[in-house]
Amino acid sequence: MKTTFISSYNTNQSVRTHLMKMQAELIKVEREVVTGRVADAGLALGSRTGFSVSMQRDVERLHTIIDSNALAGSRLDGTQSGLQTVADLAQAYMVTMTAASSGTVQPSIAVAEAKAAITTITGVLNSSLNGENLFAGVNTDVTPINDFFAPGSPARTAMETAFVTHFGFAHTAPAADTVDQAAMDTFLTTIIEPQFMGPDWNTNWSNATDETITARITLNETSAASVSANADGMRRMMMAAASVAVFFEGNLNANARNAVVEHASSMTGQAVSNLGQLQAQTGIIEKRITTASERLQMQIDIFEGKISDLEGVDAYEASTRVSTLLAQIETAYTLTSRIRQLSLVRYLP
Amino acid sequence: MSLSTALGIAQTALLNTQRQTTILSRNLQESANPDYSRRGAMLSTAANGASIVDIRRSTSDVLFRQNLSALSAWSAQDTLLNGLNTLDIDLFGTDNANHPARLLGDLQTALQTYSSSPSNTSVAENAIETARQLVSALNTSSDAIQAYRSNVDREIVTTVKDLNTLLADFQAANNEVVGGSKVGRDVNDALDQRDAILKQISEIVPVSVVKRANNDMMLTTASGITLFETVPRPVTFTPTAGYAAGAAGNSIYIDGVPLAAGSGANTTASGKLTALVQLREDVAGGLQAQLDEVARGLITAFAETDPTAVNPDLAGLFTWPGGPTLPAAGTLENGLAQVISINAAYDSSVGGNPHLLRDGGANGVAYVHNTSGGTSYSDLLLSFDTSIGTPIAFDASAGIAGTISLSAYSTESVSWFSALRQGSSRAADNKSALMMRTAESLSNVTGVNIDEEMSLLLDLEHSYQASAKLVQTVDSMLAALLAAVR
Repeated sequence: MKTTFISSYNTNQSVRTHLMKMQAELIKVEREVVTGRVADAGLALGSRTGFSVSMQRDVERLHTIIDSNALAGSRLDGTQSGLQTVADLAQAYMVTMTAASSGTVQPSIAVAEAKAAITTITGVLNSSLNGENLFAGVNTDVTPINDFFAPGSPARTAMETAFVTHFGFAHTAPAADTVDQAAMDTFLTTIIEPQFMGPDWNTNWSNATDETITARITLNETSAASVSANADGMRRMMMAAASVAVFFEGNLNANARNAVVEHASSMTGQAVSNLGQLQAQTGIIEKRITTASERLQMQIDIFEGKISDLEGVDAYEASTRVSTLLAQIETAYTLTSRIRQLSLVRYLP
Repeated sequence: MSLSTALGIAQTALLNTQRQTTILSRNLQESANPDYSRRGAMLSTAANGASIVDIRRSTSDVLFRQNLSALSAWSAQDTLLNGLNTLDIDLFGTDNANHPARLLGDLQTALQTYSSSPSNTSVAENAIETARQLVSALNTSSDAIQAYRSNVDREIVTTVKDLNTLLADFQAANNEVVGGSKVGRDVNDALDQRDAILKQISEIVPVSVVKRANNDMMLTTASGITLFETVPRPVTFTPTAGYAAGAAGNSIYIDGVPLAAGSGANTTASGKLTALVQLREDVAGGLQAQLDEVARGLITAFAETDPTAVNPDLAGLFTWPGGPTLPAAGTLENGLAQVISINAAYDSSVGGNPHLLRDGGANGVAYVHNTSGGTSYSDLLLSFDTSIGTPIAFDASAGIAGTISLSAYSTESVSWFSALRQGSSRAADNKSALMMRTAESLSNVTGVNIDEEMSLLLDLEHSYQASAKLVQTVDSMLAALLAAVR
């Protein structure tokens, strides 16, 4: 008859099984102490693992967007300083034109000023950053503005040809002296102006596209991130400078020249206001990108906090668990040796 | 006459003690064998002293049955958990680092970088390269899943073979028991052996035991299929040579009846075989279907559209053998993850142009979005990011139903698998604890306690000394009697 309630096999086996369990647990907790994260995220989070993966993915994307925002920001900084240069030039040119209309400025000086203005504007609009032309719209690999002073410049030719077509003689011909102020004014508003403000601008002057670069500035928000050389302010400013540079060199009489100067002044005035608007718009976009980046950084902080809530382990608690486990395992060792001694065989003679 | 009777009784006592010592030493020797049941001698008293009438094993049918069913459940759960862990590491790497969900995030990041400097060819190449990694992860994961299913088949073959061998062994042990019981032989060793075989069988299939006359046993599975009745029933299985996605494998037949697969994280499977079938069909098949749906989502999200909306949408960056037509919307296309590829038109290593991703037009000029040809055109690139986040219909048969975005679907898939693994791990803890507990209880009833045996040995020793003393005393009494007579 059996009288006992425990077999010797069990006495030894149970300590062994628990010991193995504790050792496996110890390895897990040790890793948690070292990494500060749960040893096996999938096992610990279960159905919430996808949430954690999704947030980690978003954090990476947010970092990239912040980087690309910095790129867009520097592009806009370059744009802004270019716009400022053109705006300053427009102010100075305005002064020259006002003086010229009162007849106190030599035509040759006005022409020099106009040519300098064209060079400066062309220089600004053709400026590039990181190999991309800032004002080219999306066509950033080509120089946006053709050189006006190059031989056979289509822009210059187009203006001169238009004069011949309209009046029947070249502006350098002696007959050009006969053109009066009203005729010249009509010519400038109906023929020359459309050359700049219409589609001819893209044939003669500009290789830029009207379409500007779009950038994603937050996870679900996009914004224009460049200014095109085709902006109205640029066209008007260029017209004001080019018409003086071309027609002052011809054989026009003082009245006709006056028409050119007045037209140029009016164009410059409009250009100044257009450029001001453009600068303001650019500034708004810059501000938008900066705040977007700040917002993204906050989002990253929140996401990382959430990830750490999900996957993180309390280092203090984990190390306490390590010491508890170590103590338990040591107890188990002691117990094993004690149990080994706990046998009736030892006490039998 | 009474002196000689006393001598006879003393002799019987000595004999009894010796036999009991034999049993006891056998008990001591087998004390570390978990399959051994402690033997005890049953004495019966008669006029000429006690005699051993039976050697009895300590048993408990209830505990034994509990142990068998706990063993089956634990074995199934353990098989499932091991399979899930293997798939997890094989397919997705540590912390899901190689999961398509993560790689999709990388692709989105690469697209963002590309869209911020669209004229830069190296970032374009980088975007294509990231896409290639995603495709390669989908391809290799699918191949790994199908290879895993073949492996499971091989394991089933081995297990079925083991089971057939065990059933044959069981027959031998059972015959010994039945034959011995009929003629009243000591069949305890055969009983031990038969119980041990039964434990091994129940790790493979759940067993219920029907006891019959002469200790005969009939075995059925828990669902009632006959495993053994006088002779073992055949267990058959034909492995599938090469697995294709969506193709179901063969069933395991016991006595011609197919064995049902288990289901769920805390699996309903009992015994290794049903868990293996569950792994092969539900788990590996489900994962494959989800990868296929991710592949379909990718092809759809990166499809080329006609800006004038005249021509149909065609496959863009990601394509498949059925391309350039898109896979049917909302329908699972089996094995798509295995065959999804990067469109050669985008691949500079085979003469393609990565900037097609920015401009459109891999399927002809009708699909060009960047009509002005500007190199910093970013609208199309930005639209891909939007379409990854746009909800599309997914096939419910892949386990994740509903109209959600590709991005969300991929993380749902992570959740689906992790939930399965977590549930399985918890259930494995429980079932292992139950298995240990029932094994302990059973061992406490049937096992040997050395201390008990040692104290019994003391009893036997005393009894032997007493009997010997008795013989000696009777001897001297007889001697005294004979001396008086002389």
